[in-house]
Amino acid sequence: MLRLRFHGRGGQGAKVASRVLGTAAFLDGYNAQDFPLYGAEKRGAPITAFTRISRENIMERGVISEPDIVIVMDETLLSDPQAMPLSGLKKGGIIFVNTPNSPLETKERYNIADHVITLDITKISLDMIGNPVLSGLAAAVASRIVGIGEDAFRGAVEKELSGIISDRELLVKNTEAALYCYNAIMPVQIKTAESIREGENVITIPFEIALVSSPAINATGNTPLRRTGNWRVFRPVWDYEVCTRCMTCVARCPDGCIHVNEDGYPYADYDNCKGCLICVEECPAKAINKVREMHSRSGEGDR
Amino acid sequence: MGKEMLTGNGAAAWGVRLAEVDYIPAYPITPQTEIIETIAKWISEGSMDASFVTMDSEHSMVTAAGAASATGVRVFTTTSSQGLLYGFEMLYTVAGWRVPLVMVNVSRGLSSPITLGPDHNDILALRDTGFLQIHCETCQEVLDSILMAYKLAEDERVLLPVMVNMDGFYLSFTRENVEIPDVGTVRSFLSEYQPEHAFFKAGQPMAQGVAVLGGEFYSYFKYQMHLASQNALDVYKEVCGEFEKKFDRKYGTIEEYMLEDAEYVLVMTNSFSTLGKAAVKRAREKGIKAGLLRLRVLRPFPDPDIKNALKGKKAVAVIDQNISVGKGGIIYSEIGGCLFNEKNRPLLLSFIGGLGGKNISQEEFEFIFDKIVSAVDTEIVEPPYLLYTENEWKDMTKLKETAGKE
Repeated sequence: MLRLRFHGRGGQGAKVASRVLGTAAFLDGYNAQDFPLYGAEKRGAPITAFTRISRENIMERGVISEPDIVIVMDETLLSDPQAMPLSGLKKGGIIFVNTPNSPLETKERYNIADHVITLDITKISLDMIGNPVLSGLAAAVASRIVGIGEDAFRGAVEKELSGIISDRELLVKNTEAALYCYNAIMPVQIKTAESIREGENVITIPFEIALVSSPAINATGNTPLRRTGNWRVFRPVWDYEVCTRCMTCVARCPDGCIHVNEDGYPYADYDNCKGCLICVEECPAKAINKVREMHSRSGEGDR
Repeated sequence: MGKEMLTGNGAAAWGVRLAEVDYIPAYPITPQTEIIETIAKWISEGSMDASFVTMDSEHSMVTAAGAASATGVRVFTTTSSQGLLYGFEMLYTVAGWRVPLVMVNVSRGLSSPITLGPDHNDILALRDTGFLQIHCETCQEVLDSILMAYKLAEDERVLLPVMVNMDGFYLSFTRENVEIPDVGTVRSFLSEYQPEHAFFKAGQPMAQGVAVLGGEFYSYFKYQMHLASQNALDVYKEVCGEFEKKFDRKYGTIEEYMLEDAEYVLVMTNSFSTLGKAAVKRAREKGIKAGLLRLRVLRPFPDPDIKNALKGKKAVAVIDQNISVGKGGIIYSEIGGCLFNEKNRPLLLSFIGGLGGKNISQEEFEFIFDKIVSAVDTEIVEPPYLLYTENEWKDMTKLKETAGKE
């Protein structure tokens, strides 16, 4: 059995990617199971999705804690302490990272010893679809790595995406971009070790007084601990030559992330700006540019 | 129709569509919403012909569903967890009306603390209402059980509502291969509902759901519900037989997995049974004669089948994915009651696991088998075990620190 885990951010398409792969495997004659896990369903927040593929009956359910293959759809997740996309990866496992960097650079940057495959699927998506929607593309990469046939993959993309994209032209663009990614990757011989699980000890939990054991939070002020700056695909950047200091962006930012400097010009708190780009839309002077974020920014993760 | 990748929720929607339900009052709740979204989409596209009404709460929803069922049409509705409890008063009421309503509950742990993952305190809170209960391990079973539920509920020997249960997330959002039967075969299995006792006809007025004063009257009605529920055991077997003939899939009140020559038995329900079966296979590889008994029908409680299946076993471990606070596992008590008068009954051990969707790891299953085997050696049965691992305790400690607990 092959176990794949997709890591993405809410809205990027990790869930749909896991489904396209599941359907592709199903159409290619395998038993498949797919399953997403997301908490409070926030756009930009880390989510995971899982696909199991097997010739045998699948006698597992729930999360995959020891994947053979990890698909990292957002490079910034590699340094996110809540996402931890590499955790539990089996010895000999494969990591795909959506990045403009080479596998070698990626391995060095994140100190990864396992087999890394890279492709800048965000760029492909922006160029070929016009939006950073990665579902079909990430599924293409995963399908190719595990050796799913092209016909089965194409059938799966069309089946899964036609249910959620009503615009025919957009559907064609998605399919073309997905097939481009499919053909840009080489299949890999996957030889993961059986299991690296460390034995878990079963324990008896002790009684604790209600001061400890009631579901109340006694700590104050821990919201700032969770920074949201690395959720961005694009960063808003102000051109002060054009900016009229009208303050529209300050008023429109839904997260209160735009402040004003001593000279009266707005600037973003990049630790927390989620990159929604409402400021770019709203700026009457068109003084805010969107610049694609490229790398994981460890300084902008959680404190 | 052939096979498709469907979630448990998608399979439930297909079951409702194929049962050609007339009326669906709805109210959304995670992890059930996809069922009513799917049905609403089909109705708006015109691929399903039914009346769909969004209600203001689950209390109104169950009332509307029961009332519509009492007019003699086929009705479906679905909820989960807090929603089920919010409609709880009406579940007893509707069961007392003796109407063949079919509902799906998508199991989710109960507040507080509020959560999303599955356990069975929600569905098991219903065990005394009069609703029959079918619990599902796979997405296929969800679809099939809805078709079987209508046939069972509408049989004049039964006429009680049925609740079909699936686990939130582990089934509701998990896709696997599901065979979708064609509507013609379904029609030949499940004919149109012909109400004899509860219907709405202008020329034949009746008052339904009336009050009675006096215990002798009240007891009569409650006993009749119980007798009808008991009848359901035999009717269910007939339904299973017909289902197998039409669709070639076999179901029983219980499922026996590697049970025949087993000495040590796990008793489980719902989707975590898959994990239990894998654990049984691993235990067999180590030479432990393990088996698993999965309860599929919990109301009526299939006492004769359970007694028969557990006859001559050395020890049985009931894994309850629920907790009756102050007592322990609910199903443990029920199995205990079922086996008490048996000669040579097995030792009975109790484990609580999977609350709020907590995983039951390989090591925890190994721990369970260790305990069963040693209980047989020592003849000492310890109190219920609350399954928990050291790593989970570490995560809990971290959470307590973040919350300023220590």
